Amino acid sequence: MNDASAAPGSFWAARGLASWLFTTDHKRIGLLYLWCVLGFFIVGVVLGLLIRLELIAPGPTIMGAQTYNAMFTLHGVIMIFLVVIPSIPASFGNIILPLHLGAEDVAFPRLNMFSWWLYALGAATALAALFTGDGPPDTGWTFYVPFSAVTSTNVSVAVAAVFILGFSSILTGLNFIVTIHRLRAPGLTWTRLSLFAWALYATAWIQLLATPILGITGLLIIAERVLDMGVFDPARGGDPILYQHLFWIYSHPAVYIMVLPAMGVISDIIPVFARKAIFGYKTIAFSSLAIAFAGSLVWAHHMFVSGMSDTAVMVFSLLTFVVAIPSAVKVFNWVSTLYKGSIHMEPPLVFALGFIFLFTMGGITGLVLGAAGTDMHTHDTYFVVGHFHYVIFGGTGMGLFAAMHYWLPKVHGRMYNKRVATWAALILIVGMNGLYFPMYVMGLAGMPRRYYDYLPQYTAMHEASTVGSWVVAAGLALMFANLWRGLRSGPRVGPNPWGAATLEWTLPSPPPAHNFPAEPVVDRGPYDFRGVRADD
Amino acid sequence: MTEQLFSAASEVDRAFLFILAFAVGALVLVTALMLYFSWRYHHTRNPEAVEIPGSLGLELLWTILPTAIVMAMFWFGWTSFKAMRTVPEGAMEVGVEARMWSWAFTYPGGRRSAELVVPVGGDVKLAMTSRDVIHSFYVPALRLKMDTVPGLTTTAWFNIAAPGEFDILCAEYCGLKHANMITTLRAVPEEDFRQWLAGADAASARAGELFSAYGCTACHDLGGGQGLGPPLDALGGRTGDVLLPDGGRRRITVDADYLRRAMLDPGAEIAEGYEAMMPSYQDQIPEADLEAMIRWMLTGDTAGPPPGRELAEAEGCMSCHSTDGSSIAGPSFRDLAGSVRRVRDQSGAVHEVVADDAYLGQSILDPGALVVEGETPIMPEYDYLDAEQVARLVEYIRSLGPGGGAQP
Repeated sequence: MNDASAAPGSFWAARGLASWLFTTDHKRIGLLYLWCVLGFFIVGVVLGLLIRLELIAPGPTIMGAQTYNAMFTLHGVIMIFLVVIPSIPASFGNIILPLHLGAEDVAFPRLNMFSWWLYALGAATALAALFTGDGPPDTGWTFYVPFSAVTSTNVSVAVAAVFILGFSSILTGLNFIVTIHRLRAPGLTWTRLSLFAWALYATAWIQLLATPILGITGLLIIAERVLDMGVFDPARGGDPILYQHLFWIYSHPAVYIMVLPAMGVISDIIPVFARKAIFGYKTIAFSSLAIAFAGSLVWAHHMFVSGMSDTAVMVFSLLTFVVAIPSAVKVFNWVSTLYKGSIHMEPPLVFALGFIFLFTMGGITGLVLGAAGTDMHTHDTYFVVGHFHYVIFGGTGMGLFAAMHYWLPKVHGRMYNKRVATWAALILIVGMNGLYFPMYVMGLAGMPRRYYDYLPQYTAMHEASTVGSWVVAAGLALMFANLWRGLRSGPRVGPNPWGAATLEWTLPSPPPAHNFPAEPVVDRGPYDFRGVRADD
Repeated sequence: MTEQLFSAASEVDRAFLFILAFAVGALVLVTALMLYFSWRYHHTRNPEAVEIPGSLGLELLWTILPTAIVMAMFWFGWTSFKAMRTVPEGAMEVGVEARMWSWAFTYPGGRRSAELVVPVGGDVKLAMTSRDVIHSFYVPALRLKMDTVPGLTTTAWFNIAAPGEFDILCAEYCGLKHANMITTLRAVPEEDFRQWLAGADAASARAGELFSAYGCTACHDLGGGQGLGPPLDALGGRTGDVLLPDGGRRRITVDADYLRRAMLDPGAEIAEGYEAMMPSYQDQIPEADLEAMIRWMLTGDTAGPPPGRELAEAEGCMSCHSTDGSSIAGPSFRDLAGSVRRVRDQSGAVHEVVADDAYLGQSILDPGALVVEGETPIMPEYDYLDAEQVARLVEYIRSLGPGGGAQP
């Protein structure tokens, strides 16, 4: 990628496809993940733009109903399993975590390579689902039974892809847990860990413990379709609500797999650009664990109107409000860190502040959805679609972009144009609000989701949302073009362009293949900026 | 926002406003502080950062206070949910069956309808299920939603305080026409509801009520017998002489226009052999009743659209089979009867069949036995219909052309 202009002796030095595809270097594996994730992200964005284009007017616009149903299914499957779940942990988690720990690599480098191969295999299987059998699945990414048991489309292949991708996630989680426990450099106590590492740690436990449930559920779906077993399909004696429980026991914690690493990125970025330690380090570290734990107990808030008992509704609603608190506390602590800081409004901070705003815009509607009475009205409407896009795209998406603008100069040794990056961030923030706020309005007005067609009274909101999608597309194009140009041919940077205090910034940019020349001995916290300065 | 007509839904709306107020307040506070701090403590204004590792007091404050607030949100959410779920004693129970891609409502006494008609001010309990995949019964105007699940009965209830019409939507993705699975909840005054519930399938009895209600039966017989005026049944197409007030006479053929004139201006044409003594019914009979009575007199049959049509609508056939030749999700009914079809049986062998009465009837009761080539076998079985109902549907399909092939 960086070709001959890369600094000699950096991890870029070894050449040839095989040196990438069979690498055990965590930095290369992280980059392989990043490029795949960004590639599939672009595919998912194109699907989203086409969906929004179809919805700009009632009735058929550019596609038929069956195509539309397959498109929103693919959009969800690609974005969730191929993009967002691996996004930060598999890319920047892999690249940065060993560096934060002062380690040479993760605990199991070959297992790491295998995890990437599983991701690649899962992605190929998902692509196969598009072009084989009776066509791409049309069930929505949630594969609810009985519809997924009776549709003739390629559900089994798609579910098999999810099964394989799940193992990539499980093994990455396992690798990170062991790495954090066993490979910390001398002096790097748990209370000196970066908050990014803490976030990855909490995430890794969810990956390890929750993903197997999805794997088993996927196998049961395939068994029902292929072997005609009655597990979930009532026509064969099964229980469709059991499917929903099994599905959501993983898929709710999955959203914390998605957002916790992004929160970790924000927690690392804000101190650097405020030139002071994070406010309430222990609280933030603990809140990541609390979110992982409590977030495993709330899954049936997706099922308030499924037909399950009122008692279950009450319990899950109560627990859902419990998990809101640690997230809120993080936001308060981040904003408090800005207080009496000395703020440098560099692109990573712009993206981080964008995260805080957009994540809060999405998180507060989670309160409406967690309350049982109000959820009855908003469930399965565009209100939910707006909610999860705000927190996943406005949250994790912006967190990924923040991580890219923060760490890619370290990885590539070059800097992008900061003013263009800031403009791209602002365009994205405006665009995301234009795209997703109308969804709140039409959801409250009764517009259900996964609708190919709609009643005429929703037209104005749909038009506004589609225009918003074009603004987002423009922002993404500007951002990617700027990064592409800057990281390939922008001005070179030294070890510490931002003046940060975590260990990766003591190494050259790009770092050498073996990371540290000698094992570091840590005697300060990750946000201790005494004597730390940005390169001139 | 229009007035909320369901009391439990008002509680939901109040819970929403409570949550919204605090949520927006938190968003505004966080955003304002974030932007203010970014400006006020910009490094050009504040070159030296002040280290503040934490504050136990603040952390406790903004943990405990939000916890109390969100617990209140939980509470209002829960109590409003309970209000939506607690069915009052004595509520009228209506069965709801959801299927791809229509709704069927079954009332006490067995009346089936494709629309949900209910009395204003009455408690209505819905006992819901699905024939195929999970659907969800959603009335946005009443903030009411509950999934319909095959193999399970789920419930919901409501009470609507004033007349109105409300959309019923499906809110659980169910395939090709998920977005078109729309019907209407119609709240009507109680008296109208009672009439509606009793009517339409007893169309002839209804016609009899009309003629009796307007006093026609005092002079006219409905069964062919003589009275002060001519008998009223099976008049369509009959010819006869009428005498005009100026002494002239004319030959008329009984049609809808003649009957209308005869009821609204009876003195203009007197049927030969009868006295000119019938009063005018101008402005005394509502148009709908007038049409019903005229139709009955012409055909001697039901006072409504062709009988099978109502049944086809009530059973949801029209959501998949068009009447104009277009393809929705199954073959159009237009020109279906008597046509030649290529069908696949359950072993996969292809046959050519004529769509006669027997074939049409079997397609209704056991659609999976022979599937038209090129169609997906998604039609549900209507094996709960009795022979008379099936015959009515077949007759309706035949009425859509080109006819023929009406073999037993």
